[in-house]
Amino acid sequence: MEAWLAWAKGPFFLFSISFMILGLIRHAVLTIWGISRAVHLAGDKSISYKKIAVASLKWLIPVGALKNRVVYGVTTLTYHISIIITPVFLGAHIELLRRGLGVSWPAIPNRLADTLTAIAIVTALALIIERASAKDSRHLSRFQDYAIPFVIAIPFASGLLAAHPSINLFSYEATMFIHVMSANLVFILIPITKLSHMVLLPTTQIISEVAWHFPLDVGSKVGAVLGKENEPI
Amino acid sequence: MSNRPYSYYVEDKALNVSQRPRKFLEAFAAVLNHSNYGLALDAYARLTAKCGRCAIDCQLYQITGADEDIPCHRSELLLQVYRRYFTQSGVWKARFIDNFTLTDEYIDRMAEAYYRCTACRRCKASCPWGIDHGLITHLARWLLAEVGIIPKALVVSVRHQLEGVGNTSAIPANALKDTCEFLEEDFGDIYGAKIKFPIDVEGAEYVFFPAVSDYLLEPDTLMGNAAVMALTGGSWTIGTKNFDGIDYGLFYSDRMFERIVKNLVAEVRRLKGKKILIGECGHATRSAWFVPTFCGPDAPRVINFLEYTYQALIDGKLPLKGKLIDDRVTYHDPCNIARDGRIIEQPREILKAICKNFIEMTPNRTENYCCGGGGGTVSIDEIREFRTKSMGKRKADQIRATGAKIVISPCANCKKQLREVCEDNGLEGVAVMGLHDLLLKALDYSSLPQVEKKDDDLDATVKLNEKKGK
Repeated sequence: MEAWLAWAKGPFFLFSISFMILGLIRHAVLTIWGISRAVHLAGDKSISYKKIAVASLKWLIPVGALKNRVVYGVTTLTYHISIIITPVFLGAHIELLRRGLGVSWPAIPNRLADTLTAIAIVTALALIIERASAKDSRHLSRFQDYAIPFVIAIPFASGLLAAHPSINLFSYEATMFIHVMSANLVFILIPITKLSHMVLLPTTQIISEVAWHFPLDVGSKVGAVLGKENEPI
Repeated sequence: MSNRPYSYYVEDKALNVSQRPRKFLEAFAAVLNHSNYGLALDAYARLTAKCGRCAIDCQLYQITGADEDIPCHRSELLLQVYRRYFTQSGVWKARFIDNFTLTDEYIDRMAEAYYRCTACRRCKASCPWGIDHGLITHLARWLLAEVGIIPKALVVSVRHQLEGVGNTSAIPANALKDTCEFLEEDFGDIYGAKIKFPIDVEGAEYVFFPAVSDYLLEPDTLMGNAAVMALTGGSWTIGTKNFDGIDYGLFYSDRMFERIVKNLVAEVRRLKGKKILIGECGHATRSAWFVPTFCGPDAPRVINFLEYTYQALIDGKLPLKGKLIDDRVTYHDPCNIARDGRIIEQPREILKAICKNFIEMTPNRTENYCCGGGGGTVSIDEIREFRTKSMGKRKADQIRATGAKIVISPCANCKKQLREVCEDNGLEGVAVMGLHDLLLKALDYSSLPQVEKKDDDLDATVKLNEKKGK
């Protein structure tokens, strides 16, 4: 088990984190290039970036945007806060980083980390239940919509157990192996699923706006390609 | 096969189109190559979270509760085609596991779904990603049009406009001139003052394009427009080569959309005018806002008549008799001018200046409910029950809650739809009219050349029809 854990924490972790970072960089570069190209081609280049920024911020700080489906909204918001803050500001993670790369930042107290971890697990399960119980979202949902919160909950649950041997029924190595492997799986899933919104979210409002800014003569060009320039209506 | 395979009629020739899936995909490929839609489709296909928030804000889903009326579900119909045929992962997946294939049945399903959406874009504001389901509806309708699927009511209007007389109501230029003369006479008879509808004047500041149906159905709106121009000394004209702001291309094909917008600009250039002045019409205004898109940055500027009148009001150039309107008045925001927040406060300020009892609908402004006839569906008479009972129910509830006797809506399509909504939802005592119709009654005409006043109480629409009948 120790060898497996070393592999998961070593080469496989490096692969997973690199896959995530490179994948997200690729998304960001392609998206920004796509937006620039679209604006360059657009007949009307006057775009209200201020309005777009306001719409984006409204959802990055969604106070006031949660008036519909309040429970779902509050669950989502709490979930996001806990899954971002806990792994980034956990003392043990920062210590690993300090040892490996020599960089560090202030950690949150372990008690707070435990509370946020518990919130992350509970809200992940709540999201699954709420998705399944609301008729509109249940109808729309795919396998990945249920699987992703579940997969994300695993490193949190295993991390909590690893940090508290007194409540852990499994061996420390096995728990850590699951913790690291599930985290690696999340890293791999981020760029290839809807989780890529962690870098693309700030761009979607602008994309929705730019798409209405058609290139000059788009209609005529499509008509020509389809051989319909002179076709009667 | 019946000529009504969908809720709406299509032309017979649409029923004889062969190989529709192949043609649909060819059109899709051409559109992706030449437009900016691919950028949005790529992001939407990748990120859509399927959270269902859009369902809550959709006025159709609120009434029907049907899964197929969830905006995200509807958009998924086109996104599935995009993923399968235009993304590398979709092409690879199809080789191994995915068995999705575009079929005639699937196209028919889209044809039904995308005309159950009015593209009001209310759901965009409730999507955390900002996914614009109205954009998807707009694109899907274009692709459907390329395989012949277009509601007959829309394609016939566009044919009149681009291949017939030159406008959607098939009004010849002589009839336009006669109508304008009638309106000038009527105005004199009712208000005792002289106004002018200038025809083909070269070099005017504004070339005027109302919804052409106003010349047939909304004389008060037009008289209000002309009265404001007369009182403010506005330099304007109506062109006889093109006097129709309606652009049903917006509702089903960017190819037609572009041609109609370019025709507006051509008329302004023929008359050596400076700006495009759009009458009280939501979609005509939004279409005209695409002038720089289709004609470049040097094309004439576009002004909506509400903006002109509001500017005159705040400049103190609009002589008002005061708050003359006693009845309770409410305002319906046409989606095409309000959703993006472009024309919201201007009409309200004008109404507050002339009404004693103005009341807002809830919700309003950018969060307004569509009248239920948006996206061109108002012209499709065969779906009236769907429009007024399913789509229009929320709007009827809103109007009822205000207790208003008058609903103002500065949009030809909204007005037609709202009248039918009121009729079909037991709101008989409610009058629906344009903003300039009401303003007409509150303006002070003493500064205009005076004429003998007759027929005080005669309704202008009745008079116009009587004169045309002679």
